[in-house]
Amino acid sequence: MERQEYIEFILDHYQHPRNKGALEDPDMLVNGGNPGCGDVVTLYVKLDNEDRITDIRFEGHGCTISMAAASFLTEMVNGKKLDEIRQLDYQQLIDILGPEVVKSRLRCATLAMDTLQGAAREYPSRKATGQKLIQPIVLTHTLLTE
Amino acid sequence: MSEYARPDVLVGTAWVQEHLTDPNLRIAECDEDVLLYDVGHIPGAVKIDWHVDLQNPVVRDYINKNGFEAVLSSRGIGNDTTVVFYGDKSNWWATYAFWVFQLFGFEKAKIMNGGRQKWVAENRPLSQEKAKYPPTYFVARDRDDNQIRAFRDQVMKHVAAGNPLVDVRSPQEYHGELLAMPGYPQEGAMRGGHIPGARNIPWSKAVREDGTFKSPDELKELYQSQGITEDKDVIAYCRIGERSSHTWFALKYLLGFPKVRNYDGSWTEWGNLVEAPIERP
Repeated sequence: MERQEYIEFILDHYQHPRNKGALEDPDMLVNGGNPGCGDVVTLYVKLDNEDRITDIRFEGHGCTISMAAASFLTEMVNGKKLDEIRQLDYQQLIDILGPEVVKSRLRCATLAMDTLQGAAREYPSRKATGQKLIQPIVLTHTLLTE
Repeated sequence: MSEYARPDVLVGTAWVQEHLTDPNLRIAECDEDVLLYDVGHIPGAVKIDWHVDLQNPVVRDYINKNGFEAVLSSRGIGNDTTVVFYGDKSNWWATYAFWVFQLFGFEKAKIMNGGRQKWVAENRPLSQEKAKYPPTYFVARDRDDNQIRAFRDQVMKHVAAGNPLVDVRSPQEYHGELLAMPGYPQEGAMRGGHIPGARNIPWSKAVREDGTFKSPDELKELYQSQGITEDKDVIAYCRIGERSSHTWFALKYLLGFPKVRNYDGSWTEWGNLVEAPIERP
């Protein structure tokens, strides 16, 4: 794809985000942040008995790339098992978003994926004790911009 | 009410809209968000990316004279062109670009007061069409880092001499409670706190809700109340030098301080520097 096509793909997700919003009674509720940009993302995930994602939503604030990447991620991972999530490679995501477009903002591009992978690694130990993985929602993105 | 020391360097959104077709004017968008320009920009504006266009890609430094000439020539900026900068985050990166341009003595530079947020809030026109201009042959002066840029050794001497520093970060960063936001990777520096003697005057105190700069009297009171006065040699810093370029602009051009420098190494250098003195209450 040409650079402009990658940009249009990102802008489409930024201006028309998919799966935006909160989920009632999620199995995982996790936050991620990128202090360089002030990006914040909160992921809500529902899982079935086999730890397969049956629904995923996101909320957040941040730059175009971070929000577009979060939107795209929700489409990319829906239906996948946490085992598969743990094995995802950043490069797969970057190749889709456009390596040339996001190369100077890799932290922004991978924020949502990084957050989800962290949750996928932590979840089994929580589940073993009969708990969900629920973090308090953190919306302190303004701290660095005060 | 008094006037800004250099009222000519600050223009309003209405003024910019009236001058959109002025051939001697180039409007330049400088954002933190690298794709905001593509979302929509002031019609005819060019994009200057602080990361890609202004910085040396290898060494932590700015572009050299040749690089600066190439950036300006490719945007159709000639030696007689006036450049008006604007951007997101209340003009952090616009003032940062303005500051880098001043390293090369580029005098025909202005800031659009209120930046992108004000332009958008006022429903002024936006375009997604990339502006292209015939290349020019811009001839730059040599870069001069001695007047408005501070390096760490100079900051050390500045501290030892008891000269004033302005830490423009949030109070939480200043107090060393945070290197970044709570719950998130505390990256960027090994230590938290501030440079000894620095006064904490967050950059945001200099702007109103709409992102425009406060009045000359308000700004004077803000800095004077912390002992930051124009008779002193002042250094401003933040985390990487962008928020402090905003304060640098306010002190130098709006209040007319004759000697004010931006320490672009800022906390990501000082907070990592072995044996650098740090104050943390």
